[in-house]
Amino acid sequence: MSATLGSQTDAPAHVGGAAAGAVGGTTVATPTLRALLARSSFWVIAAACILAVAIVAVLVSGGSQAAGRALAGDNVAPTGSMALVEVLRQQGVTVTLASSLAEVRAAVGTDSTVFLYDENSYLDQTQLSELGDLAAHTVVVAPDFLTLQALAPTVGFGGVSESDILAADCSVPAANRAEALSPGGDTLSIPSGSAHPLLTGCFASGTTTFSLVQVQNDTTGGIISLVPDARLFNNENIADYGNAALALGLLGPSDSLVWYLPTLADLPRTGPPSLAELTPGWVTPVLVLLMLVAVAAAIWRAARFGPLVAENLPVTVKASETMEGRARLYARSNARLRALDALRVGAVQRLALAVGLGRLAHLEEVIGSVAHFTGRAPDEVRRVLVGAIPESDAQLMALSDALQALEHATGQAVRPGSAPAARASTSVSGELPPPPAERMDP
Amino acid sequence: MTLSGRFVLLLALGVVPIVLFGLDPVTATGVLVLWLLLVFVLGGLDLALAASPRAVTVERMLPARVRLGESVTSELYLTNTGRRRLVGVVRDAWQPSAGAGRNRSRVVIPSGERRLVSLTLTPFRRGERRVEQVTVRSRGPLGLWNRQATLNAPGRIRVLPPFHARKHLPSRITRLKELDGRTSVMVRGPGTEFDSLREYVRGDDVRSIDWRATARRNDVMVRTWRPERDRRVVILLDTGRTSAARVDNEPRLDTAFEASLLLAALTSVAGDRVDFLAFDRRVRGRVQGASGAALLSQMVDSMALIEPELIEMDWAAVPGQVRSITSQHALVVVLTSVDAAGASTGLLSVLPQLTKRHTVVVASVLDPATVLAAAARGGRDEIYRAAAAERALLDVARVSAAIRRLGADVVTASPAQLPPALADRYIALKAAGRL
Repeated sequence: MSATLGSQTDAPAHVGGAAAGAVGGTTVATPTLRALLARSSFWVIAAACILAVAIVAVLVSGGSQAAGRALAGDNVAPTGSMALVEVLRQQGVTVTLASSLAEVRAAVGTDSTVFLYDENSYLDQTQLSELGDLAAHTVVVAPDFLTLQALAPTVGFGGVSESDILAADCSVPAANRAEALSPGGDTLSIPSGSAHPLLTGCFASGTTTFSLVQVQNDTTGGIISLVPDARLFNNENIADYGNAALALGLLGPSDSLVWYLPTLADLPRTGPPSLAELTPGWVTPVLVLLMLVAVAAAIWRAARFGPLVAENLPVTVKASETMEGRARLYARSNARLRALDALRVGAVQRLALAVGLGRLAHLEEVIGSVAHFTGRAPDEVRRVLVGAIPESDAQLMALSDALQALEHATGQAVRPGSAPAARASTSVSGELPPPPAERMDP
Repeated sequence: MTLSGRFVLLLALGVVPIVLFGLDPVTATGVLVLWLLLVFVLGGLDLALAASPRAVTVERMLPARVRLGESVTSELYLTNTGRRRLVGVVRDAWQPSAGAGRNRSRVVIPSGERRLVSLTLTPFRRGERRVEQVTVRSRGPLGLWNRQATLNAPGRIRVLPPFHARKHLPSRITRLKELDGRTSVMVRGPGTEFDSLREYVRGDDVRSIDWRATARRNDVMVRTWRPERDRRVVILLDTGRTSAARVDNEPRLDTAFEASLLLAALTSVAGDRVDFLAFDRRVRGRVQGASGAALLSQMVDSMALIEPELIEMDWAAVPGQVRSITSQHALVVVLTSVDAAGASTGLLSVLPQLTKRHTVVVASVLDPATVLAAAARGGRDEIYRAAAAERALLDVARVSAAIRRLGADVVTASPAQLPPALADRYIALKAAGRL
């Protein structure tokens, strides 16, 4: 088989025969898409089941609208009002859901009723006044102070009703049909003496507090019904007492009803244009595209070129670890004498060999012999080799240097041609004694 | 399936039409969706037109062995049995220590043809280096998306120990030859064998004059001796936990390999029989009854797969192992580590059994760093290091003395020096006739 990068054009069958020891039909380790799906079918099915169950559960519970706005006409939650709106629609009333004053203006006709529930007090005085003049009949639920100021300045707040029974007891037909309301809601108060000709109060809790107040607009002649208790019209309480009858009576008479819940769109615009208005239209799509590009780049770079290759690595330990560890132990515990002892024993053995006494020579013999060769006093040699006890690191270093100097001097003295004691106390400037690289028997 | 950088770039280019045509958010989103559609349709088309990497068959040609530090060529033949022309990249997934370097190669294989992908392997670890799989990534005509498949193509190559110590072999063989035919002067021992008679020349030892032969002839004849032959040498390698330690950036085990290879080469030249045994608690490698060139090749072959085991050496089983190899007197070379007394009790306890029957040499690596540290006395830390090093050297000296007292011989040297030192000791023993 030549090693050139040849381009042989043999048929595949020939190729298999050409290579010695060739294995025909290479097996593929990567599973095919079908095999992958078959292998993971359990998980795919399980995930699909979980997803289906979750979707069904959400649909059944209607949980997605649970947090809708209170008294919204399309809110099925207990605080919503879809029940009322749907009943009105079944009765042939055209209900328009409005979320801004402009929409109300567009939807309202000559014979329309407007339902207003301004929970967050979005509307200001002028807007409220305009709203009061728009329709023939306006039903305001839970009016706040500003609303009362704009629509019925003489009406005030009456606190929470303490009466157990709220009976109609007035001339409004819708109230009479309702007969009674859920007790315990907010009330409004009208000036006592009922001298005011344009005000009618129903469902009295006390002498001046009522749960429904009708005001006649003195300029347009339209009627404004004020219902202080917002709970009456929500899905939860609409079926209690005469709530439904009152609601249908107030909202049902006209053919079209505008169901108006003010939103942020009703707030007057002030200040410079926002950032969103200033940015061009393509910015968000470009950002989305760049995010996709980042994901694609991550997939591009992260894709592995085949599986990882495993390899057993050998255990390698440095042989000098134990020596280093012991040295650090000596240093940490300041074991000066122990460290010096090790140096001394080594030095004594080398000295004994140097002066020709052998490894097992007695210490006194070595001291005497070394003193003889170097010309130093035996006591001095003994002090360096055995006697002195290092009290500080400085002394330890001094003794170590002295040991080396002694070894060096002995090495110089026993060298052929130098007489004993001739080179007493030579300065330590020569080379170190040769390290015992090979310790073999002579 | 994998993406390419080109696809990412194409996706990013979508910024241009979105900015140019997307003046308001709705149009811009529309352009974005259109662009994504276009790009993914192109990608899918590319993927559909790419050649199938599964249709590639792989054949591998590999040399069986390589010496550590040398290079070999791994040949991979790829045959495209599919109908489309395959353009792509091939990764030959060698283990990292096989030293394949950058193992991705571009290939273009027309349908039904075959191409060679060759890699130069320079393994940097001893043992068996394996390759299991080949990954083929096939590019579509546009180069946007790739098809990728991993094919099974197993292969293995045995990386033998380097035997750097063979540079010492010629000089040792020369010294061995010098023993041959030399008159027995002072080294005459009980085992030295009679070789021949020759005439006396001035300088020969008068004690080797053979008077009987002199009487038969008119000349003075001397006996010559040759080194004994056909002795047995048993090399026992300790592959236990201490052999894993690194000295001079070389595990003790590898130094022991070098030393035993040099010894075996020398021994087979000298005409002795060598048996090799690597042992910790089990026999890790054994070479018996081989000689000549086959001996060394069998030895490196069995050594290639031996790794240090992190278990304690079972010294008690060693005499039995040696007995199973030979019952005659032999030179038993134990390559182990001579450390602290505590760690060497096992060795010391079985040495008497070995020395009773055999000549025993214990060879161990001595850390040159320890020797250097013992002489360095610069500051406080260095003095403590010197003390610890001195203590370690004293331990080695004590254990060596104990081994000598038990009748065995000790050779310790730095990793570079141990193989020639052991060879020298063998020559010395042979000259003394102690084999």
